[in-house]
Amino acid sequence: MEDNSEKPKGISRRKFLGAAGAAGAAAATAGFAWPLLKNESTYSASSNESLGYNFRGKHQAGVTAPRMPAGLVAGLDVRVDDKRELEQLFVRLSESIELLMSGARYEDRSGGFPPADTGLNDRADGYVPPWVVLSVGDSLFDSRFGLASLKPRELQPMPKFNNDYMVKPATSHGDLSVAIGGVTHESVIHGFRQLMRSVRGSVIPKWTRSGFNSIRPDIKPGIAPGRNLMGFKDGTANPDPQSDSSMNEIVWVQPNDLQPEWALGGTYLAVRVIRMMVEFWDRTRLNEQEELIGRSRDSGAPLGMKKETDEPRFTSFESHIARANPRTSGSEENLMLRNGFNYADGLDGNDQMDQGLVFLSYQRSLEKGFITVQRRLDGEALEEYIRPLGGGFFFVLPGPGQGSDPLGASLLA
Amino acid sequence: MKSFNGPKVGGLLVALTLVFAACGSDDSSSSGSGSSTGISASELVQETDNALIEDAVDGYRAYIGEQIAAMQAETAIFADAIRAGDAEAAAAAYPISRRPWERIEPIAGLIEDIDGAVDAREDDFDGPMDPTFTGWHKLEYFLWEAGDLSEAGPFADQLEADLQTFADALPGLELPPGVLTVGAQELIEEVAAPDGKLSGEEDRYSGTDLYDFKANVEGAEALIELLTPALESADHDLLDAIEASFDELNNQLAQFGSFADGYVHYDEVTEDQRSELAAALGELAESLSMLNGTLGLE
Ligand code: HEM
Repeated sequence: MEDNSEKPKGISRRKFLGAAGAAGAAAATAGFAWPLLKNESTYSASSNESLGYNFRGKHQAGVTAPRMPAGLVAGLDVRVDDKRELEQLFVRLSESIELLMSGARYEDRSGGFPPADTGLNDRADGYVPPWVVLSVGDSLFDSRFGLASLKPRELQPMPKFNNDYMVKPATSHGDLSVAIGGVTHESVIHGFRQLMRSVRGSVIPKWTRSGFNSIRPDIKPGIAPGRNLMGFKDGTANPDPQSDSSMNEIVWVQPNDLQPEWALGGTYLAVRVIRMMVEFWDRTRLNEQEELIGRSRDSGAPLGMKKETDEPRFTSFESHIARANPRTSGSEENLMLRNGFNYADGLDGNDQMDQGLVFLSYQRSLEKGFITVQRRLDGEALEEYIRPLGGGFFFVLPGPGQGSDPLGASLLA
Repeated sequence: MKSFNGPKVGGLLVALTLVFAACGSDDSSSSGSGSSTGISASELVQETDNALIEDAVDGYRAYIGEQIAAMQAETAIFADAIRAGDAEAAAAAYPISRRPWERIEPIAGLIEDIDGAVDAREDDFDGPMDPTFTGWHKLEYFLWEAGDLSEAGPFADQLEADLQTFADALPGLELPPGVLTVGAQELIEEVAAPDGKLSGEEDRYSGTDLYDFKANVEGAEALIELLTPALESADHDLLDAIEASFDELNNQLAQFGSFADGYVHYDEVTEDQRSELAAALGELAESLSMLNGTLGLE
């Protein structure tokens, strides 16, 4: 992380016993056993003195990070004139993201300047930085930068699905998107503010949504990390992000996928901001709620089964989970990694609560993943209780590799 | 250390943008301060040993003098038209008369209650007909909303009297060096504020926000011009960045008109165009935020 090595100053002198020890300390600070921090493969101490995510690598680390207590996603438009300026923009974004994710300190400035760091986070031992995932949207491949021939084969504007009549252009799409996750809201907001100030004027933020997840301490595959705002366990049937073989199968674009070569190691991101009619939901019979989802609300077990981890056996294909993953031959091609968060943003103009799910899914094929699954969900009975408001399709840039390349280097090479 | 003992007008925006405003120690309770405009003297850097900045302060005093003279002359035309009941002439003179004020708007914070008297919005009062609501926006209301100037005359008199008070205060006004840097910053932050020009809140009845917008930019440019010798030696790249941002902003504004030909009604500026303006303002504001530190005004 040569970019950051000159910048950090005044890091606490406390020594950690490598990443795992550091992780434990961070987890204790965060107030709960923070699972990811125990895993040295995705989360490493960038030095003995501060914690950080590994920005460098084949893939962007945030994609396979476990569900976070706080999240934010934004659609951004770029405001640069040509490909050269776009390159410079990616360099600035990458420097900003690398510094953020490293957890390193920002430069000290004298009091006559605005501080380089927002100051939202106490930098005591155990500060856990946010991760950032940078993606590109369909519109970046229009005529402005001469990138049309390099567009990932399946990248396209998000079409209108069955229940999408409240989806607005103003809250959809973007030349770029950033998704940010962190253990506190402050760390996520810090991330977004630092990122935006580093590219002010060159990027127009179009829309953002931020939110939260309650995360159970003993997070493991097959067990949902938390609940969504319908009160149901969310994430039960998610693939294991720590399994490289699953991720290569389900998430990361592979050499035989007929993508442009630069896209290897990236993935498609589908973002859907989906409002829930929570007042109505809270007036709905439990039996109906459970039939709509296909699982028991309290235990998370598939209907007719006992435990959350039991494999569903469907007799009808009406429920949300049966439509989403019918478990028929061939349907394993439609798997995806879901990693979203809940949101609650005050009231709408009719005094009703604007709450719901910021759905994020990562998949190796947009067509086989999100689009196929959403087409199967189109017309589901759950639609009565939900209204998509926005979002978009993006392509998550491959990781920046081990050298000093910025994100997007392979695209703009 | 020089000190300035005037009460402070406004201050919310200042508290957010001033370097030393740790927690908004100034009270913004002075009555009817409309748009949170202006600098609080106590929070400005009071001293410099940089002769180039001292020259700039002298230059700024002269600039303020010119602007106040223009303000009084242009406001006289506006006030006469109001008193004569000539709505058309008054409407034409309204945005013109405001330009000098908008160019030196942050200075208002250095003079007691002036901003509340001449530039407040109806939001600070019991509705637009509240008799204590005075100033340009009151007259703007008579012209564009009420469509009746029969009771407007006394408010035109009052505006002229208040501007005279402003003019009279100038000779005794302390101008600490921090007024230059913070003033430039403030003019741009003021445009972008949620109740500022970008949102169309300022001239909500007339839609003449672009005149104010342009005048704010001109006021900031004048300050940078005065600071150019100091900046040339302190940080040429920063100066280049600031000048490029002004060019960009002025090019954008030019698509909506000019003072000579008039500007379009602010309603005609689309959401996308407002986003573009916001982006250019943001880029400029980031650069301006580096001025104090760069010039050693700690
Ligand atoms: C507000 C909207 C939604 C709600 C409330 C919701 C709720 C749920 C719940 C409670 C589960 C079961 C627990 C789990 O496995 O995570 C689930 C599973 C799932 N959902 Fe959704 N979901 C929503 C939107 C979507 C969308 C838009 C998609 C994709 C197009 C989707 C795809 C899936 C998939 C693939 C599963 C796993 C099914 C399985 O393998 O058993 N969901 N959802």
